[in-house]
Amino acid sequence: MSDVVLRADDLAKTFRLGFFRKRIEAVKQASFEVRRGEIFGYLGPNGSGKTTTLKMLMGLVFPSRGRAEVLGRPVPDRRAKRRLGYLPESPYFYDYLTPEEFLDLVGALFDVKRAERRARADRLIERVGLSSARGRPLRKFSKGMLQRIGIAQSLMGEPELVVLDEPMTGLDPIGRKEIRDLMLDLKREGRTVLYSTHILPDVEMTCDRVAMIFAGRIRSVGPLSQLLTARLLSTEVCLRPGAAGLPELPAGARKSENPDGLLIDLPANADVDAFLRAVLAAGARVHSLTPRRESLEDLFVREAANQDQGAA
Amino acid sequence: MRRIQAIAWNTFREAVRNKILYSLLFFAVLIILSALAMGNLTLHEEIRMTRDIGLFGIDAFGVIIAVFVGVNLLYKELDLKTVYTILPKPLHRWEFVLGKWLGMLLTLAVQMGVMALVLGVTLWLQEAQFDAPMVKAVWLLFVNVMLVTSIAVFFSAFSSPFLSGFFALGCFLVGRSVPDIRALAAKLGPLAKTVLETGCTLMPNMHLFYPSGAIVGAEEVSVHRDFVSASYLLTTTGYGVAYSLIVLILAMLIFRKRDFV
Ligand SMILES: Nc1ncnc2c1ncn2[C@@H]1O[C@H](COP(=O)(O)OP(=O)(O)OP(=O)(O)O)[C@@H](O)[C@H]1O
Ligand SMILES: [Mg+2]
Repeated sequence: MSDVVLRADDLAKTFRLGFFRKRIEAVKQASFEVRRGEIFGYLGPNGSGKTTTLKMLMGLVFPSRGRAEVLGRPVPDRRAKRRLGYLPESPYFYDYLTPEEFLDLVGALFDVKRAERRARADRLIERVGLSSARGRPLRKFSKGMLQRIGIAQSLMGEPELVVLDEPMTGLDPIGRKEIRDLMLDLKREGRTVLYSTHILPDVEMTCDRVAMIFAGRIRSVGPLSQLLTARLLSTEVCLRPGAAGLPELPAGARKSENPDGLLIDLPANADVDAFLRAVLAAGARVHSLTPRRESLEDLFVREAANQDQGAA
Repeated sequence: MRRIQAIAWNTFREAVRNKILYSLLFFAVLIILSALAMGNLTLHEEIRMTRDIGLFGIDAFGVIIAVFVGVNLLYKELDLKTVYTILPKPLHRWEFVLGKWLGMLLTLAVQMGVMALVLGVTLWLQEAQFDAPMVKAVWLLFVNVMLVTSIAVFFSAFSSPFLSGFFALGCFLVGRSVPDIRALAAKLGPLAKTVLETGCTLMPNMHLFYPSGAIVGAEEVSVHRDFVSASYLLTTTGYGVAYSLIVLILAMLIFRKRDFV
């Protein structure tokens, strides 16, 4: 399967802390695959094990169990790392360097020749919107600027796969949009993006597929559309009743007043067709009909709740 | 090679842009100047004093800077998490350690070079020379400083900066006292003697790098006379380099197995 660019196979990591070697199971079970050319979201609440998983995939932390594979090779492999870009969580870089110097250093680690390093650094500084910060040491960078230079350095090796740990943190709404657009650009260039986050609207706008991790265990993996549309929560019908009034509502339906008339919220299992025929026959005017599907947030909250029950 | 060079150069650049090194250098300059301030001596004594105090200053400050640099420049990468960015780059972990170490050596070489230069100028003002024995002496001190750096890097590969600094300095002090400990061991019972002798063999013998006043081959060594022979210089340098590399390889092995969390 050459179109899988990253594979986490039953990864687990247990840290041991302190004198009594207290066990902390940061990741209990993580399996997922990232396919070539997609934007893959790795979602989970704070402390659920996202960063730890990514560190195992980047070869920074050795898994307690399972296998990590990047670009077809077991981690860590220098040949695979050549085609990989990584942005750590809340990154900190050499604060005495200027952006140009820092990108030059990173380029050298990719064995890029000097002239090419300079050209790439120029392009990337432009691309992440840091042109005005040239020549300024990173120590004087704001949080969002550091995040931007971090993204620039992850692209210095012109990677096939870019792994970003919470790329949106510290960015203002404009910055977030820019990063979203950048990720979509990367995808258009044929690169694969894996990023972790807990900012759900960003995910809905960018990700092809997602994995969700709760308390160290991956709960669901799949295309966003599949994870969500599978669940119709309810159907909202907005209407103005006719002279004959309203027919009897299906079981579980709720009725509320609304400037346009009435809002009827039909449960997911209701026969919407039959209800519509009945109200039309009674002379009502139907203004709108909206299926309410589960949002990513609903799913997230539900999975988190399941997790709590499982743990109890 | 480009990768190791990039890490080394960056380490050097960091040290140069780090103000603390300048202040240590300033102290070294102060010591050498204090040699000048020793008036009321005959010119001959004054030159002798300058050479002794100058070498002592280069030695002391070289070692202090070596411990500081060796512990700090590696620890900072771990503490500030710059390793998270660097290690996932196409670079072996050992290349990172080697690059750091080479960068530290470059830093220390420049530091010691500047100190030696100041000493040379001081001597020149006294119408004396920075002669061959002085060059040999400074070279041996540099090899010693390299060894101390390697030991500091080794300890900071797995322990806190405070402990690493403490252990590295401890190794230096014990290493310098190896002949004294040997002499002590000779007077003790067989068990204590074996223990101390073994310890002395394993510890880096740093007295070799500062032999002024010691007896080498039935003759007292002095920087004011011929100092040491070329073959002594060579074997001692070889000893220092070999010991450094062994310690450095151990540091690399530890680094290879580490989790960076
Ligand atoms: N070095 C460590 N030693 C002990 N426990 C750790 C260590 N690193 C992480 N953990 C624990 O592992 C769990 C997962 O942490 P991780 O940083 O992977 O979460 P995360 O999903 O990235 O969270 P966030 O969204 O806050 O970044 C947490 O409970 C954390 O306390
Ligand atoms: Mg995290």
